[in-house]
Amino acid sequence: MNEEYDAIVLGTGLKECILSGMLSVSGKKVLHIDRNKYYGGESASITPLEELFQRYGLEPPGERFGRGRDWNVDLIPKFLMANGQLVKLLIHTGVTRYLEFKSIEGSYVYKGGKIAKVPVDQKEALASDLMGMFEKRRFRNFLIYVQDFREDDPKTWKDFDPTKANMQGLYDKFGLDKNTQDFTGHALALFRDDEYLNEPAVNTIRRIKLYSDSLARYGKSPYLYPMYGLGELPQGFARLSAIYGGTYMLDKPIDEIVLGEGGKVVGVRSGEEVAKCKQVYCDPSYVVEKVRKRGKVIRCICILDHPVASTKDGLSTQIIIPQKQVGRKSDIYVSLVSSTHQVAAKGWFVGMVSTTVETENPEVEIKPGLDLLEPIAQKFVTISDYLEPIDDGSQSQIFISESYDATTHFETTCLDVLNIFKRGTGETFDFSKIKHELGDEEQ
Amino acid sequence: MATVRIPKQKVILCGDYGVGKSSLFRRFTNNTFVTETDRKSTLGLDHIDREYDVGDKQIKLQLWDTGGMERVASVTSSYYKFAEGAILVFALDNAASFHSLSQHLLDIVTYAENAKIFICGNKSDLEGREPEVSDEEVEAFCEQCHSLISATYKTSCRSGAGVEEMFRDISRQLVHANRSKMELQALEQKSFKIDTACDPTINEEASSCSC
Repeated sequence: MNEEYDAIVLGTGLKECILSGMLSVSGKKVLHIDRNKYYGGESASITPLEELFQRYGLEPPGERFGRGRDWNVDLIPKFLMANGQLVKLLIHTGVTRYLEFKSIEGSYVYKGGKIAKVPVDQKEALASDLMGMFEKRRFRNFLIYVQDFREDDPKTWKDFDPTKANMQGLYDKFGLDKNTQDFTGHALALFRDDEYLNEPAVNTIRRIKLYSDSLARYGKSPYLYPMYGLGELPQGFARLSAIYGGTYMLDKPIDEIVLGEGGKVVGVRSGEEVAKCKQVYCDPSYVVEKVRKRGKVIRCICILDHPVASTKDGLSTQIIIPQKQVGRKSDIYVSLVSSTHQVAAKGWFVGMVSTTVETENPEVEIKPGLDLLEPIAQKFVTISDYLEPIDDGSQSQIFISESYDATTHFETTCLDVLNIFKRGTGETFDFSKIKHELGDEEQ
Repeated sequence: MATVRIPKQKVILCGDYGVGKSSLFRRFTNNTFVTETDRKSTLGLDHIDREYDVGDKQIKLQLWDTGGMERVASVTSSYYKFAEGAILVFALDNAASFHSLSQHLLDIVTYAENAKIFICGNKSDLEGREPEVSDEEVEAFCEQCHSLISATYKTSCRSGAGVEEMFRDISRQLVHANRSKMELQALEQKSFKIDTACDPTINEEASSCSC
């Protein structure tokens, strides 16, 4: 440990592991430390099941849920958008070779106490029971507009400037009612609240395109999920970092981030040892005095022995409950994975309900989500602070990631990572620096 | 569309730091040896495929190196996933590296329970020195592990002795062990790897026809 590094990365959560991999690939000398004995930090998948019970202070479950080591339970539920940033990062870094994926079988939206399939193309729009007959036509026209829309070709904008006019304006142009706006904004564009309505429409158009392009890649739903759980993702990037010369240390407490002249970081101390460095990259838990709270997230892991009702017995599902449907300001996300993804023992399912906390009683807030999953054999509830750095790190050269938000996919995660990389290195990450001839590729 | 696919078998190297895993990997890759462990020469290398003929069958052995993660941390559990074979490597001149095999074995059976396990005593070129680990000890270890160990080998990465023979024999064993399993797998709904080959524009056209 007593050496000098270009960068020391603290914590092996997904964001830190992607950064570590990117830095190593760029030729930086990297030391990557975690205080825990395992990889993944907050984005780990916990195995065996006994470990999960222990984490929540519960008695071990015995034989009830089958073999404990067949379980890999994510602490933070998310899916990958098939055409999203994370998949691009995985492909460009070659980390995809360590992983195998399955498509999530269905994507649903909650309306009036029931769930319905999210309509994404014109055919589905016309068949959907989410809208009345005339509304379906209007929605279909809207989808055609989005599909034909090209940012670089104003002719496709049809007398509407989406870079200036807001999204509400575009909805009004097509005469979509509140209900349709609701599932479009929340289940297709995947916004967490309604602020997007007042922002330029082009943002929403991009997100709807991401959804439909993702769907076009592997069918069924736009979402992918890795075999053996999300914990495989940080591990894949950690391996990338190691392959490019990064040094790994687990189970190593961090006692101090040593600052030098002008409050600039010079090293990291663990006990008597000090590793020197020019930069530190870390998650908020390593620098409590340099982050502030920006709200809370509640997540509830649920063990079930059945699929969700009205999903055609899907072995994996995503359900979005738009805020307005349940009188809230932010959406509730429900997801389900199962033994088919090697994350549960045979016949079992892992459900997750998560949202941004709005009241003093968050467990009541997620009830509409839990009701969809009932009967639930076992619940594990976590309420965590959403933390963000107080500065951009340019002064101290300490670059801090934000906590993982309640969103159901990795788009914001990747944006944060690319942003931190740019702040730290002054460069936009150059995907072409990664050699493609590493090992081999799928033929 | 029907291209003949050669079955690919992932084989991982396990064992303490410094026993010669990367040297085995390098021998497998381009049949070379470097004396000082020069990490730079394996930098960026991940896994390597080589094809072997076993009777009338072909098999692609895909050998994975740890990337040095075991030096101060543990190897990620995902390293073990989907492995069909695991080679437990120790150095014949280092008894400690032999005694920690049980720990590595535990990791393998935990994270890659279907992998066939092999033991490799490396550094057989002792030039007159007595090995610190005797054949009897290796045998006793295998006995303790019941039938978990499929075979044991001795190699020297310095001279190259035994290395090629080992990989050849492992290929043979994997073909026999997997013959029926591979046929079964073909029936199951399988997960997939993502790559650039799946061009979204092609699918887009396809879906726009359906309206």
